[in-house]
Amino acid sequence: MIEFELNGETVRTDEAPDTPVLWVIRDTFKLKGSKFGCGAGLCGACTMHLDGTAIRTCMLPISAVAGQAITTIEGLSAEGNLHPLQAAWQAYAVPQCGYCQSGQIMSAAALLESNPNPSEADVEIALAGNICRCGCYPRIKKAVLAASESSGLFKNAITSEEVIS
Amino acid sequence: MRIENLSRRSFLKTTAIVGGGVVIGFSLSGCSTSAPLPIDVADGGFVPNAFIQILPDNSVKFYTARDEMGQGVTTGLSTLLGEELDFDPFKMEILLAGVHEDYNNPGMGVQATGGSNAIHAHFEPMRRAGANARAIILLAAAQDLGVHVDQLKTEDGHVVWDNQRFPYGSFVQTAAGIAAPEEVSLKSPGDFRYIGQESGRVDALAKSTGAAVFGIDIDLPGLHYAVVRRSPVPGAKVVGFNRAATEQAKGVFQVMEVASGVAVVAETYWQAKKAAEQMEVTWEEVPLGGMSSADIRADYEQALNSEEGLTGTDEGDLDAGFAAADHVLESQYWTPFLSHAPMEPMNAVVDIKEGWADVWSGTQGPVAAQGLVARFSGLEPSKVRVHQTYLGGSFGRRGTLTHIVEATQIAVASGKPIKLIWSREDDLRNGLYRPASLMRLKAGVDGDGRIAAWDAKRVGGNISPDTIKNMLPALFPGLSDGVVDWVGGLADGAFTDWVADPSSVEGLFEDYDHPNTRVTHATVNHGIPLTFWRSVGHSYTAFAKESMVDELVVAGGYDPVAFRLKNTENKPRLQNVIRVAGELMKAMTLSQDHHLGFAAHHSFLTDVAQIAEVSVKEGKIRVHKVVCVVDCGTAVNPDVVRAQMEGGILFGLTAALHGEHRIEGGAIKESNFHDYPILRMNEAPDIEVVIVESQDTPTGAGEPGLPPIAPAVANAVFRASGQRLRSLPLRLEARA
Repeated sequence: MIEFELNGETVRTDEAPDTPVLWVIRDTFKLKGSKFGCGAGLCGACTMHLDGTAIRTCMLPISAVAGQAITTIEGLSAEGNLHPLQAAWQAYAVPQCGYCQSGQIMSAAALLESNPNPSEADVEIALAGNICRCGCYPRIKKAVLAASESSGLFKNAITSEEVIS
Repeated sequence: MRIENLSRRSFLKTTAIVGGGVVIGFSLSGCSTSAPLPIDVADGGFVPNAFIQILPDNSVKFYTARDEMGQGVTTGLSTLLGEELDFDPFKMEILLAGVHEDYNNPGMGVQATGGSNAIHAHFEPMRRAGANARAIILLAAAQDLGVHVDQLKTEDGHVVWDNQRFPYGSFVQTAAGIAAPEEVSLKSPGDFRYIGQESGRVDALAKSTGAAVFGIDIDLPGLHYAVVRRSPVPGAKVVGFNRAATEQAKGVFQVMEVASGVAVVAETYWQAKKAAEQMEVTWEEVPLGGMSSADIRADYEQALNSEEGLTGTDEGDLDAGFAAADHVLESQYWTPFLSHAPMEPMNAVVDIKEGWADVWSGTQGPVAAQGLVARFSGLEPSKVRVHQTYLGGSFGRRGTLTHIVEATQIAVASGKPIKLIWSREDDLRNGLYRPASLMRLKAGVDGDGRIAAWDAKRVGGNISPDTIKNMLPALFPGLSDGVVDWVGGLADGAFTDWVADPSSVEGLFEDYDHPNTRVTHATVNHGIPLTFWRSVGHSYTAFAKESMVDELVVAGGYDPVAFRLKNTENKPRLQNVIRVAGELMKAMTLSQDHHLGFAAHHSFLTDVAQIAEVSVKEGKIRVHKVVCVVDCGTAVNPDVVRAQMEGGILFGLTAALHGEHRIEGGAIKESNFHDYPILRMNEAPDIEVVIVESQDTPTGAGEPGLPPIAPAVANAVFRASGQRLRSLPLRLEARA
């Protein structure tokens, strides 16, 4: 039995210890926002936070997160609110197919946590591990910079209704 | 494909209903069916046609007939419908439609999405569906309020009478008993409120919070997971596998042979994946197993340099044209096999019980999904419910649905609800590919700077026969295997011996005004499975054509823009985007080591010109900026058009700078993103998109942004390095 924290709640699983975190989160705990893209840590679609750091979960065995805290896209912001990045994602109409976007946002959120005012180059380095096949990169970059602390544009947690209207 | 014309009268067939009853079909094609619409009608819900449900609380559900793969079609179609319904598309609930004849693509005659045609084909029908529903609501309001309909108008989901506002929802009960008026006029463009306006995307919120549902996200009670081992060499059948040992692996429920290989079914994905990986499978030997990339290339060279081939277009007098030319150039261009590599690998959920089958998968052809599940489960298509999901990218890939065949066969054999998931390795090694092409262009320019003769030849596999073979069993589930093989074989033969497959040579010769033109095609097919890949033939022909035009420009000492303008007098819209882009190019200021390349191309009824700003340093090509001018008629959602140009450019840049499948022993060599790299953010240029103002019917946006980028970059690389690169991906030669 492996115990860890998932989006602020303590959970336990008896999945085989070598099962990647991604599949336990998706299929055992039914949080489907994190995606499977390559199974090799190459595309970033599976990105979650492990104790605040962005990690690829498609190869990380569940046994490795025992006693630690996992945050997924579903736990990124308080219930009913959007993370500033998610608000910026609406404003810049970032997603196309949308499949990679949870991973993009989780990588960007970890960046802003450690570096609230990143340069363009900082964003490129932090997100170089996240592939977007649709080609949303120019919008992702703009949205991350717009969500930075100094921009202040999306500073306060915003509900989805406010963003849309 | 059959093109269906929509007459206004076809809307007379509308029969409205209110919740609980049987929904009678609303047919765009005029051939109404009695099959019920796949719509859950809420209590009191008013369903004037297949696309709309209006509820008493004034909420509107929009059933999107076309498949959302990122191209923004849910935003586009809801904008068209909302314009005439007079209801804000961002306030609608967007639902993905099930399978029904009323959801057929008016430009194709089947329920499918592709060819960049959705906004073009639905520009009038979707607005008519909205106008029709609004007209019924107005008549109902007139009846309920006891006034003449001419005294009423609408405003954002409300009927307005004498300064009073009534939500549409308050009239739905009366509306259900009213037939649509015969003539419903549409707004003139000057009155558009949503079309042409800047807006976001209706799916952006769901896709930023992890809430958007893709096929891979479907969960059912008792779900079992399946992983299939397929032959590394396409077409090779299973000879044997160690069933007993595999069945003993932890969590494994069943191991079975399916059409494409051997399937392992387990309680979790990880169990199925591990057991399948460890399974020993032997495959039959097939002729393709002896082939490598070099062999395939050599066969193409042989066909190119022989008299082999069919002549498609043959206009004017080629010899006279070349004789009249001041200078004549001849070059060969090569483009490799490519994968679509959508971020969501292929997957499907199939659940068969109690005489019904349910299938969940994001596809470009829900009706094909229905047909395949019916065919391989033995059920009638009417007993197969298709639950469309968002597509995690497609680019043509999700038009071929062998994964649904696999999932159905596994569900039938196991008796379990099955989720089949392909790995990235499966996606790259067992997929369908953009064909490789070897092209030769010979062109002559006269003393006046006009292209006098254009002789084009392309060698490679054909796209259409494979796609036809895959579609037949899906669209006609009742056809026997023998008939499918026979007709499929005819398709092969037709495109080899009788006609040039238009998809194979499109874009190679149409854009410029050369009076003497010949197009020859030699089919050389080694059995690598092929299908449509974003922009299809244009994805490689534009590279050859626009590189050759640049070679003519350099050889004759012409200006790249002026030369193209002079040779596109019969293509005014293409000429105009070249002119606009040329003016933008003149205004660009460059740092010393940056160079510009120009290219223009017409595809999917849309005209695009692009300028690539490139530097070459230490043997590396870096694309700094791309300026893109597009004329796609009315831009229904300008920001979605911009996004599609950006996406097409970056998809094309992956192909220009990285994309290449190599073949060894008949198998695709690349297996994941380490050896099949996709452009990453740090390589992505800034992109500026200029949309030409237009009130013409909208034309394609999803694909036309792609074709010009590879030649624009190659033409810039020539200016930066002096190297004329005629193969993709672009690789600089090391020079001493």
